[in-house]
Amino acid sequence: MGISMLQAIHITKRYGFGPTEVAAIQDLSIKVDPGEVVLIMGPSGSGKTTLLSMLGALLKPSTGEIRLNGDVISMLSENRLPDIRLRKFGFIFQDFNLLSALSALENVALVAELIGLNKNSARKKAESLLINMGLEARLSFLPEKLSGGEKQRVAIARALVNDPTIILADEPTANLDSKVGHEIMHLLRAMAKEQNRSVIIVSHDQRIKDIADRVLWLEDGEFKEMVTMVMDPVCGMMIDREKSVILDWMGKTYYFCASGCRDEFINHQETVTQ
Amino acid sequence: MIMLSVHNLFQNKIRLSISIGGVALALSLIFSLNAIFAGVEERITAYINNSGADIFIAQSGVQNMHMASSSMPETVEDEVKTIPGVEFVTPINYVPNMVVVGDERNLAYIIGLPPDAKLGGPWKIFKGSRHPKSGEAIIDRFVAEKTGISIGDEVEIFGRQFVVAGLSEETASLVNSFAFISRSDFSTVRGGANTINFLLVKARPEENPEKLAKTIESQLGNVTARTTAAFSSLEQKVVKDMSTDVINLMNLIGFLIGLAVTALTIYTATLSRRSEYGVMKALGARNSYLYSTVITQALISVAIGFVVGAIFTWLVSIIIQGLGLNLTMNITALSLIKVGSLALLIGCISAVLPIRQISKLDPAMIFRGR
Repeated sequence: MGISMLQAIHITKRYGFGPTEVAAIQDLSIKVDPGEVVLIMGPSGSGKTTLLSMLGALLKPSTGEIRLNGDVISMLSENRLPDIRLRKFGFIFQDFNLLSALSALENVALVAELIGLNKNSARKKAESLLINMGLEARLSFLPEKLSGGEKQRVAIARALVNDPTIILADEPTANLDSKVGHEIMHLLRAMAKEQNRSVIIVSHDQRIKDIADRVLWLEDGEFKEMVTMVMDPVCGMMIDREKSVILDWMGKTYYFCASGCRDEFINHQETVTQ
Repeated sequence: MIMLSVHNLFQNKIRLSISIGGVALALSLIFSLNAIFAGVEERITAYINNSGADIFIAQSGVQNMHMASSSMPETVEDEVKTIPGVEFVTPINYVPNMVVVGDERNLAYIIGLPPDAKLGGPWKIFKGSRHPKSGEAIIDRFVAEKTGISIGDEVEIFGRQFVVAGLSEETASLVNSFAFISRSDFSTVRGGANTINFLLVKARPEENPEKLAKTIESQLGNVTARTTAAFSSLEQKVVKDMSTDVINLMNLIGFLIGLAVTALTIYTATLSRRSEYGVMKALGARNSYLYSTVITQALISVAIGFVVGAIFTWLVSIIIQGLGLNLTMNITALSLIKVGSLALLIGCISAVLPIRQISKLDPAMIFRGR
């Protein structure tokens, strides 16, 4: 897996013509770094899905560019896009979208075969991923026999089997209960931080803010407010960087949820250095 | 791809059964028609093939028996006997007519045989005599059973009563049968005492029949001499030429039914998985991969339908044989190839519409919840 940076530059997406023309996305720019978790939130009809589709090379912008590692992918011909999607992106869907006739293992192995692995290697890779997801006992199960959380784990394994550098997730926790949703969220964060993948999530789920490095609010096809989330090194809470308590210490900048955490941090550092 | 096709196909057992059943029945229709006509061909040439002759001699220009008229002077028999390589000959008379029982008229080829004919007589006797004497007839067993006739009863041939002296087997087809009477009776009722219609020749064991046929033609000049195999093949060709249009029409109907059933089931199967094909497109599967998946599904359907159809037709032919019906179904290798090719064509054409559906799928639909 290489390291990829995804960038949208002044993209606009319009639907319809003349008086019926609607701009779903309006002159929007975004850059997602490797290892970063970006959460895009916004009301229904704000253009989140359109944006996600364009970032995932499923839809071309009307104007502007989508760049992957500096290469403009939005200008590529239709017949080159499947290969980009197959090798660079992993997709996770709200409804899981597993193929109903295939077992959990076959669902994952199919994508591995699409990238050119032979049947045995594809199955081995799929099996290893599913075991890592805790689905060892569910390999031969059809999707209809799996719980929501298990289905989403299979979908995540499928999204990872092609070693993508960018994961695009559409409402990944929407159909899951809070416990499973929480597990999936942390799985997504681990994918970003441990494997240096970029994770872009579109969701209404406020809980996902906890694992996001950055939260973007999309409304009427534009980012209205950009919030950079940082982690408090003392209590571990994700906080809005702009509203945090800031401390410059030994040449580094630290962000805290409150002055209490900052003071605790200072006391601890002083104890260590004495 | 094959794994996906197989799983997609076998997931919905009812749809699969309808698809395979429809294809099997349509192909079985084609199979049966071909088998019936092959059986008719076999029965129509049965007399020639079972005559025991190596060579058939007819009036110059006559190449077969069915719907043909051949007449030669009796002297031809003596001329042929003198040709080196000829072991013995049997002159026969032949004309299509009727075996009449009461009001029931059965189309039959009437063969006039000399006493103790070595060639051209009934080859399989169910009951009674093999050699018809004056006033006697040997008719087909099926015709006898159908009309309630048995040995010793009378039938009318050429407007004259004959006593049934024997019942032959394998001498009836769907449309007609063979009946054997003596040449003297044949001449009496038909006239032309000094004429024969065909001369059947047995070649000496060391003689090549083809070479001998050419020698006979060149020495006699005004006759056509063909080996039994060639004569039989020409006879088959005549029957084929007469039935080709019917067979083609029925094949077309069977083909269209098979096509409609397969196309509909593959189309609905693809439509029902529209969103899954969209997912695969979104994940990066190329159109060619998805097309191949659909085509493979269609081909697997017709392949199974083909096997089921062939087995079904074979079973029907066995049952018909067991019931003793006057119908022979002959499943030939050529028929298997022909129906197999049609099945292949059905599979490919039936995948066209679903492929069009897939080609129009927008992979972005997957994020729009469609």
